[in-house]
Amino acid sequence: MATVSVTTAISASQPLAASELAHACGADTEWVVQLVEVGIVQVTTTEAPPERWQFSSADLQCALEARRLERDFGVGLDAAALILDLQHEVRRLKAVIRAHGLR
Amino acid sequence: MEFKDYYSALGIDRTASEEDVRKAYRKLARKYHPDVSKEADAEKRMRDINEANDVLRDKEKRAAYDALADRVARGGHPQGDFQPPPGWDTGFEFHRGPNQGPADHADFSEFFSSLFGEAERRGAARRNYRARGEDHHAAIEISLEDALNGAEREITLRSQEIDAQGRPAFKTRTLSVKIPAGMHPGQFIRLAGQGMPGHGGEPAGDLYLEVRIAPHKLYRVEERDIYMTLPVTPTEAALGAQVKVPVPTGGAVEVTVPPHARSGLKLRLKGRGLGGKQPGDLYLLLEIALPPATAEAARKAYEQLAQASASFNPRQHLGV
Repeated sequence: MATVSVTTAISASQPLAASELAHACGADTEWVVQLVEVGIVQVTTTEAPPERWQFSSADLQCALEARRLERDFGVGLDAAALILDLQHEVRRLKAVIRAHGLR
Repeated sequence: MEFKDYYSALGIDRTASEEDVRKAYRKLARKYHPDVSKEADAEKRMRDINEANDVLRDKEKRAAYDALADRVARGGHPQGDFQPPPGWDTGFEFHRGPNQGPADHADFSEFFSSLFGEAERRGAARRNYRARGEDHHAAIEISLEDALNGAEREITLRSQEIDAQGRPAFKTRTLSVKIPAGMHPGQFIRLAGQGMPGHGGEPAGDLYLEVRIAPHKLYRVEERDIYMTLPVTPTEAALGAQVKVPVPTGGAVEVTVPPHARSGLKLRLKGRGLGGKQPGDLYLLLEIALPPATAEAARKAYEQLAQASASFNPRQHLGV
Protein backbone atom coordinates (compact mmCIF):
# COMPACT_ATOMS: atom_id res chain seq x y z
CA MET A 1 0.00 0.00 0.00
CA ALA A 2 1.50 3.31 -1.04
CA THR A 3 1.78 6.14 1.46
CA VAL A 4 0.53 9.41 0.04
CA SER A 5 2.96 12.18 0.77
CA VAL A 6 2.57 15.96 0.64
CA THR A 7 4.39 17.06 -2.51
CA THR A 8 5.44 20.55 -3.49
CA ALA A 9 7.15 21.60 -6.70
CA ILE A 10 9.94 24.08 -5.98
CA SER A 11 8.95 27.03 -8.16
CA ALA A 12 8.58 30.81 -8.18
CA SER A 13 5.41 30.55 -6.09
CA GLN A 14 6.95 27.98 -3.70
CA PRO A 15 10.63 28.88 -3.39
CA LEU A 16 13.13 27.59 -0.83
CA ALA A 17 14.24 29.73 2.11
CA ALA A 18 17.99 30.11 2.80
CA SER A 19 17.72 27.75 5.79
CA GLU A 20 15.93 25.13 3.66
CA LEU A 21 18.53 25.38 0.91
CA ALA A 22 21.27 24.95 3.52
CA HIS A 23 19.57 21.93 5.11
CA ALA A 24 19.05 20.25 1.73
CA CYS A 25 22.80 20.53 1.13
CA GLY A 26 23.83 19.43 4.63
CA ALA A 27 25.22 22.90 5.33
CA ASP A 28 24.35 26.01 7.36
CA THR A 29 22.94 29.41 6.41
CA GLU A 30 26.38 31.04 6.63
CA TRP A 31 27.46 28.79 3.75
CA VAL A 32 24.47 29.97 1.66
CA VAL A 33 25.59 33.58 2.27
CA GLN A 34 28.98 32.63 0.78
CA LEU A 35 27.25 31.06 -2.25
CA VAL A 36 25.41 34.33 -2.83
CA GLU A 37 28.65 36.30 -2.51
CA VAL A 38 30.41 34.27 -5.23
CA GLY A 39 27.27 34.16 -7.40
CA ILE A 40 26.63 30.39 -7.39
CA VAL A 41 23.02 31.09 -6.39
CA GLN A 42 21.04 34.21 -7.22
CA VAL A 43 19.02 36.48 -4.96
CA THR A 44 17.06 39.45 -6.26
CA THR A 45 18.41 41.73 -3.58
CA THR A 46 21.43 41.23 -1.35
CA GLU A 47 20.27 44.14 0.84
CA ALA A 48 17.44 42.03 2.27
CA PRO A 49 18.45 39.84 5.25
CA PRO A 50 19.09 36.12 4.44
CA GLU A 51 15.81 35.16 6.15
CA ARG A 52 13.97 36.85 3.28
CA TRP A 53 15.97 35.29 0.43
CA GLN A 54 14.20 32.93 -1.95
CA PHE A 55 15.74 30.19 -4.06
CA SER A 56 14.65 28.21 -7.12
CA SER A 57 15.20 24.61 -8.29
CA ALA A 58 18.15 25.83 -10.40
CA ASP A 59 19.73 27.33 -7.26
CA LEU A 60 19.30 24.04 -5.39
CA GLN A 61 20.92 22.16 -8.28
CA CYS A 62 23.93 24.53 -8.31
CA ALA A 63 24.24 24.53 -4.51
CA LEU A 64 24.24 20.71 -4.33
CA GLU A 65 26.85 20.51 -7.08
CA ALA A 66 29.03 23.13 -5.34
CA ARG A 67 28.78 21.22 -2.04
CA ARG A 68 29.93 17.99 -3.71
CA LEU A 69 32.82 19.78 -5.43
CA GLU A 70 33.87 21.25 -2.11
CA ARG A 71 33.61 17.94 -0.28
CA ASP A 72 35.05 15.58 -2.92
CA PHE A 73 37.70 17.77 -4.55
CA GLY A 74 38.42 20.29 -1.82
CA VAL A 75 37.85 23.25 -4.18
CA GLY A 76 37.10 26.75 -2.91
CA LEU A 77 33.76 28.34 -3.75
CA ASP A 78 35.29 30.72 -6.32
CA ALA A 79 36.72 27.76 -8.26
CA ALA A 80 33.41 25.87 -7.81
CA ALA A 81 31.58 28.85 -9.34
CA LEU A 82 33.87 28.74 -12.39
CA ILE A 83 33.51 24.93 -12.73
CA LEU A 84 29.71 25.28 -12.59
CA ASP A 85 29.74 28.01 -15.25
CA LEU A 86 31.89 25.85 -17.52
CA GLN A 87 29.70 22.81 -16.87
CA HIS A 88 26.62 24.83 -17.77
CA GLU A 89 28.28 26.01 -20.98
CA VAL A 90 29.34 22.45 -21.94
CA ARG A 91 25.77 21.23 -21.45
CA ARG A 92 24.38 24.13 -23.48
CA LEU A 93 26.80 23.51 -26.36
CA LYS A 94 26.09 19.77 -26.30
CA ALA A 95 22.38 20.60 -26.62
CA VAL A 96 23.12 22.83 -29.63
CA ILE A 97 25.15 20.01 -31.22
CA ARG A 98 22.28 17.57 -30.64
CA ALA A 99 19.79 20.10 -32.07
CA HIS A 100 21.82 20.12 -35.29
CA GLY A 101 21.84 16.34 -35.43
CA LEU A 102 25.63 16.22 -35.20
CA ARG A 103 25.73 13.64 -32.39
CA MET B 1 22.69 -9.05 -1.67
CA GLU B 2 26.19 -8.76 -3.03
CA PHE B 3 29.20 -7.92 -0.85
CA LYS B 4 30.78 -4.79 -2.40
CA ASP B 5 34.53 -4.53 -2.73
CA TYR B 6 35.05 -0.80 -2.23
CA TYR B 7 38.82 -1.06 -2.60
CA SER B 8 38.61 -2.54 -6.09
CA ALA B 9 35.94 0.04 -7.03
CA LEU B 10 38.62 2.70 -6.43
CA GLY B 11 41.45 0.53 -7.78
CA ILE B 12 43.42 0.61 -4.53
CA ASP B 13 44.42 -1.98 -1.90
CA ARG B 14 43.77 -2.29 1.81
CA THR B 15 47.02 -0.56 2.74
CA ALA B 16 46.06 2.66 0.87
CA SER B 17 46.52 5.83 2.92
CA GLU B 18 43.87 8.54 3.28
CA GLU B 19 45.75 10.50 0.65
CA ASP B 20 45.75 7.46 -1.70
CA VAL B 21 41.96 7.15 -1.30
CA ARG B 22 41.52 10.84 -2.07
CA LYS B 23 43.79 10.71 -5.12
CA ALA B 24 42.19 7.53 -6.50
CA TYR B 25 38.71 8.97 -6.05
CA ARG B 26 39.54 12.28 -7.72
CA LYS B 27 41.19 10.57 -10.68
CA LEU B 28 38.24 8.20 -11.26
CA ALA B 29 35.63 10.92 -10.64
CA ARG B 30 37.23 12.91 -13.45
CA LYS B 31 37.32 9.88 -15.73
CA TYR B 32 33.68 8.94 -15.18
CA HIS B 33 32.14 12.40 -14.76
CA PRO B 34 28.97 12.26 -16.91
CA ASP B 35 29.83 15.60 -18.59
CA VAL B 36 33.22 14.44 -19.90
CA SER B 37 33.21 10.65 -19.94
CA LYS B 38 33.02 8.70 -23.19
CA GLU B 39 32.40 5.43 -21.32
CA ALA B 40 28.97 3.85 -21.84
CA ASP B 41 28.49 2.94 -18.18
CA ALA B 42 29.84 6.25 -16.79
CA GLU B 43 26.79 6.99 -14.66
CA LYS B 44 26.82 3.61 -12.93
CA ARG B 45 30.59 3.73 -12.39
CA MET B 46 30.26 7.22 -10.91
CA ARG B 47 27.67 5.94 -8.41
CA ASP B 48 29.95 3.04 -7.39
CA ILE B 49 32.93 5.35 -7.00
CA ASN B 50 30.92 7.82 -4.90
CA GLU B 51 29.68 5.04 -2.67
CA ALA B 52 33.17 3.55 -2.18
CA ASN B 53 34.54 7.02 -1.44
CA ASP B 54 31.81 7.74 1.14
CA VAL B 55 32.95 4.68 3.14
CA LEU B 56 36.72 4.67 2.60
CA ARG B 57 37.38 8.37 3.22
CA ASP B 58 35.67 8.09 6.62
CA LYS B 59 38.02 6.53 9.22
CA GLU B 60 35.24 5.00 11.32
CA LYS B 61 33.31 3.54 8.40
CA ARG B 62 36.47 2.24 6.78
CA ALA B 63 37.65 0.47 9.96
CA ALA B 64 34.23 -1.19 10.40
CA TYR B 65 34.12 -2.15 6.72
CA ASP B 66 37.62 -3.68 6.92
CA ALA B 67 36.68 -5.72 9.99
CA LEU B 68 33.53 -6.92 8.23
CA ALA B 69 35.48 -7.83 5.07
CA ASP B 70 37.81 -9.98 7.24
CA ARG B 71 34.85 -11.78 8.80
CA VAL B 72 33.33 -12.35 5.38
CA ALA B 73 36.66 -13.72 4.06
CA ARG B 74 36.83 -16.16 7.01
CA GLY B 75 33.16 -17.13 6.84
CA GLY B 76 33.23 -17.75 3.08
CA HIS B 77 29.92 -16.20 2.08
CA PRO B 78 28.71 -17.37 -1.31
CA GLN B 79 28.73 -14.65 -3.96
CA GLY B 80 25.56 -12.54 -3.96
CA ASP B 81 24.28 -13.99 -0.67
CA PHE B 82 25.63 -11.53 1.83
CA GLN B 83 23.82 -10.55 5.04
CA PRO B 84 25.60 -8.45 7.68
CA PRO B 85 26.18 -10.59 10.79
CA PRO B 86 24.50 -9.34 14.00
CA GLY B 87 26.57 -6.78 15.84
CA TRP B 88 29.03 -6.46 12.92
CA ASP B 89 29.65 -2.81 13.79
CA THR B 90 30.11 -3.23 17.57
CA GLY B 91 32.76 -0.84 18.78
CA PHE B 92 32.51 1.47 15.77
CA GLU B 93 30.51 4.63 15.66
CA PHE B 94 29.31 6.37 12.54
CA HIS B 95 27.85 9.75 12.33
CA ARG B 96 27.12 12.35 9.77
CA GLY B 97 28.02 15.71 11.21
CA PRO B 98 25.85 18.75 10.50
CA ASN B 99 28.33 20.02 7.90
CA GLN B 100 29.19 16.90 5.95
CA GLY B 101 27.35 17.80 2.80
CA PRO B 102 24.28 16.29 1.19
CA ALA B 103 23.24 12.77 2.17
CA ASP B 104 23.38 11.10 -1.24
CA HIS B 105 22.49 7.65 0.06
CA ALA B 106 19.27 7.38 -1.93
CA ASP B 107 21.50 6.61 -4.93
CA PHE B 108 23.67 4.09 -3.13
CA SER B 109 23.38 0.30 -3.15
CA GLU B 110 21.32 -1.95 -0.92
CA PHE B 111 24.65 -3.15 0.53
CA PHE B 112 25.57 0.38 1.62
CA SER B 113 22.10 1.16 3.01
CA SER B 114 21.91 -1.98 5.10
CA LEU B 115 25.33 -1.37 6.63
CA PHE B 116 25.70 2.34 7.09
CA GLY B 117 22.22 3.86 6.86
CA GLU B 118 20.95 2.34 10.10
CA ALA B 119 24.37 2.52 11.78
CA GLU B 120 24.59 6.28 11.17
CA ARG B 121 21.22 6.69 12.85
CA ARG B 122 22.16 4.63 15.89
CA GLY B 123 25.45 6.48 16.16
CA ALA B 124 23.53 9.73 16.37
CA ALA B 125 21.12 8.32 18.97
CA ARG B 126 23.99 7.14 21.21
CA ARG B 127 25.55 10.57 21.26
CA ASN B 128 22.32 12.15 22.47
CA TYR B 129 22.38 14.34 19.41
CA ARG B 130 19.28 16.37 18.56
CA ALA B 131 18.69 17.58 15.03
CA ARG B 132 16.18 17.43 12.26
CA GLY B 133 16.76 14.43 9.94
CA GLU B 134 18.91 14.91 6.85
CA ASP B 135 17.19 15.67 3.57
CA HIS B 136 17.51 12.97 0.94
CA HIS B 137 17.96 13.37 -2.80
CA ALA B 138 16.87 11.16 -5.68
CA ALA B 139 15.80 11.58 -9.30
CA ILE B 140 12.50 10.71 -10.95
CA GLU B 141 12.13 10.20 -14.71
CA ILE B 142 8.73 11.06 -16.15
CA SER B 143 7.32 11.23 -19.67
CA LEU B 144 6.96 14.56 -21.43
CA GLU B 145 3.19 14.13 -21.36
CA ASP B 146 3.21 13.61 -17.57
CA ALA B 147 5.44 16.67 -17.14
CA LEU B 148 2.95 18.79 -19.11
CA ASN B 149 -0.29 17.42 -17.74
CA GLY B 150 0.70 16.29 -14.25
CA ALA B 151 0.43 12.72 -12.98
CA GLU B 152 0.48 10.49 -9.98
CA ARG B 153 3.42 8.11 -9.70
CA GLU B 154 4.51 5.46 -7.24
CA ILE B 155 8.14 5.37 -6.27
CA THR B 156 9.92 2.73 -4.25
CA LEU B 157 12.47 3.73 -1.64
CA ARG B 158 14.89 1.67 0.38
CA SER B 159 15.13 2.03 4.11
CA GLN B 160 16.56 0.01 6.97
CA GLU B 161 14.92 -1.29 10.09
CA ILE B 162 16.03 -3.64 12.84
CA ASP B 163 14.40 -7.07 12.55
CA ALA B 164 13.34 -9.40 15.42
CA GLN B 165 16.88 -10.86 15.61
CA GLY B 166 18.35 -7.38 16.05
CA ARG B 167 19.83 -7.36 12.55
CA PRO B 168 19.51 -4.45 10.17
CA ALA B 169 16.93 -5.55 7.62
CA PHE B 170 16.33 -4.03 4.24
CA LYS B 171 12.80 -2.70 3.72
CA THR B 172 11.22 -1.11 0.72
CA ARG B 173 8.40 1.38 1.00
CA THR B 174 6.23 2.74 -1.74
CA LEU B 175 5.28 6.38 -1.91
CA SER B 176 2.60 7.87 -4.06
CA VAL B 177 3.91 11.12 -5.56
CA LYS B 178 1.65 13.72 -7.09
CA ILE B 179 3.54 15.38 -9.95
CA PRO B 180 2.12 18.86 -10.58
CA ALA B 181 1.40 19.90 -14.18
CA GLY B 182 4.05 21.96 -15.98
CA MET B 183 7.24 20.48 -14.44
CA HIS B 184 10.46 21.20 -16.32
CA PRO B 185 13.70 19.18 -16.26
CA GLY B 186 15.89 20.02 -13.27
CA GLN B 187 12.94 21.17 -11.18
CA PHE B 188 12.66 19.60 -7.72
CA ILE B 189 9.63 18.05 -6.08
CA ARG B 190 9.79 18.10 -2.30
CA LEU B 191 8.19 15.37 -0.20
CA ALA B 192 7.85 16.66 3.34
CA GLY B 193 9.04 14.30 6.08
CA GLN B 194 10.24 11.55 3.71
CA GLY B 195 13.99 12.07 4.28
CA MET B 196 16.09 10.59 7.10
CA PRO B 197 14.40 10.20 10.52
CA GLY B 198 15.09 13.00 13.02
CA HIS B 199 17.58 12.62 15.87
CA GLY B 200 16.51 12.91 19.52
CA GLY B 201 12.80 13.44 18.77
CA GLU B 202 13.30 16.11 16.09
CA PRO B 203 11.25 15.87 12.85
CA ALA B 204 12.35 13.86 9.81
CA GLY B 205 14.07 15.51 6.85
CA ASP B 206 12.51 15.93 3.42
CA LEU B 207 13.03 13.99 0.21
CA TYR B 208 13.88 16.02 -2.90
CA LEU B 209 13.17 14.42 -6.26
CA GLU B 210 14.85 15.97 -9.27
CA VAL B 211 12.68 15.73 -12.37
CA ARG B 212 14.16 14.21 -15.52
CA ILE B 213 12.21 13.93 -18.75
CA ALA B 214 12.37 10.60 -20.59
CA PRO B 215 13.40 10.70 -24.27
CA HIS B 216 10.41 11.12 -26.60
CA LYS B 217 10.05 9.84 -30.16
CA LEU B 218 8.88 13.21 -31.54
CA TYR B 219 10.00 15.93 -29.16
CA ARG B 220 13.27 16.96 -27.59
CA VAL B 221 13.30 18.98 -24.38
CA GLU B 222 15.79 21.71 -23.53
CA GLU B 223 15.13 23.32 -20.17
CA ARG B 224 11.64 24.79 -20.62
CA ASP B 225 11.59 24.66 -24.44
CA ILE B 226 10.44 21.75 -26.59
CA TYR B 227 11.83 21.10 -30.09
CA MET B 228 10.35 19.09 -32.94
CA THR B 229 11.56 18.51 -36.51
CA LEU B 230 8.82 19.42 -38.97
CA PRO B 231 9.22 17.86 -42.42
CA VAL B 232 7.77 19.93 -45.33
CA THR B 233 7.75 19.37 -49.09
CA PRO B 234 9.83 21.66 -51.37
CA THR B 235 6.54 23.13 -52.65
CA GLU B 236 5.33 23.95 -49.11
CA ALA B 237 8.70 25.52 -48.30
CA ALA B 238 8.87 27.56 -51.52
CA LEU B 239 5.28 28.75 -51.74
CA GLY B 240 4.29 28.72 -48.08
CA ALA B 241 1.56 26.52 -46.63
CA GLN B 242 -0.72 25.74 -43.73
CA VAL B 243 0.34 22.43 -42.16
CA LYS B 244 -1.05 20.37 -39.31
CA VAL B 245 1.32 19.82 -36.39
CA PRO B 246 0.82 17.56 -33.34
CA VAL B 247 1.36 19.33 -30.00
CA PRO B 248 2.70 17.56 -26.90
CA THR B 249 -0.37 18.45 -24.80
CA GLY B 250 -2.43 16.35 -27.24
CA GLY B 251 -4.27 17.12 -30.47
CA ALA B 252 -2.91 19.17 -33.36
CA VAL B 253 -2.70 22.80 -34.46
CA GLU B 254 -2.48 24.50 -37.88
CA VAL B 255 0.83 26.24 -38.46
CA THR B 256 1.72 28.71 -41.22
CA VAL B 257 4.93 27.90 -43.06
CA PRO B 258 6.04 31.21 -44.62
CA PRO B 259 6.96 31.36 -48.33
CA HIS B 260 10.71 31.06 -49.21
CA ALA B 261 11.29 28.95 -46.08
CA ARG B 262 14.65 27.20 -45.89
CA SER B 263 15.72 24.02 -44.14
CA GLY B 264 16.57 24.68 -40.48
CA LEU B 265 14.14 27.61 -40.17
CA LYS B 266 12.76 27.74 -36.63
CA LEU B 267 9.05 28.41 -36.12
CA ARG B 268 8.04 29.32 -32.59
CA LEU B 269 4.76 28.43 -30.91
CA LYS B 270 4.86 30.72 -27.93
CA GLY B 271 4.02 29.37 -24.48
CA ARG B 272 3.60 25.77 -25.63
CA GLY B 273 6.69 24.53 -23.77
CA LEU B 274 7.14 23.32 -20.19
CA GLY B 275 7.13 25.28 -16.96
CA GLY B 276 3.58 25.95 -15.75
CA LYS B 277 3.02 29.67 -15.11
CA GLN B 278 6.16 30.78 -16.99
CA PRO B 279 6.12 28.29 -19.85
CA GLY B 280 8.83 27.90 -22.47
CA ASP B 281 8.08 27.66 -26.19
CA LEU B 282 7.56 24.89 -28.73
CA TYR B 283 10.02 25.22 -31.64
CA LEU B 284 9.47 23.57 -35.01
CA LEU B 285 12.65 23.01 -37.02
CA LEU B 286 11.87 22.88 -40.72
CA GLU B 287 13.34 20.01 -42.71
CA ILE B 288 12.71 19.81 -46.44
CA ALA B 289 11.71 16.31 -47.50
CA LEU B 290 12.02 15.52 -51.22
CA PRO B 291 9.22 13.55 -52.87
CA PRO B 292 10.77 10.45 -54.51
CA ALA B 293 11.44 10.79 -58.24
CA THR B 294 10.56 7.18 -59.00
CA ALA B 295 7.11 7.72 -60.58
CA GLU B 296 7.13 9.03 -64.15
CA ALA B 297 4.94 12.05 -63.32
CA ALA B 298 7.26 13.09 -60.48
CA ARG B 299 10.34 12.75 -62.70
CA LYS B 300 8.71 15.01 -65.31
CA ALA B 301 7.81 17.58 -62.67
CA TYR B 302 11.44 17.65 -61.42
CA GLU B 303 12.68 18.11 -65.01
CA GLN B 304 10.26 20.98 -65.52
CA LEU B 305 11.41 22.54 -62.27
CA ALA B 306 15.02 22.26 -63.45
CA GLN B 307 14.17 24.04 -66.71
CA ALA B 308 12.19 26.75 -64.93
CA SER B 309 15.05 27.44 -62.51
CA ALA B 310 17.97 26.99 -64.93
CA SER B 311 19.63 30.20 -63.73
CA PHE B 312 19.61 29.06 -60.08
CA ASN B 313 23.02 27.83 -58.93
CA PRO B 314 23.02 26.56 -55.33
CA ARG B 315 26.83 26.24 -55.49
CA GLN B 316 27.52 29.82 -56.54
CA HIS B 317 29.23 30.65 -53.23
CA LEU B 318 31.66 27.76 -53.84
CA GLY B 319 33.07 29.71 -56.78
CA VAL B 320 32.47 26.96 -59.35
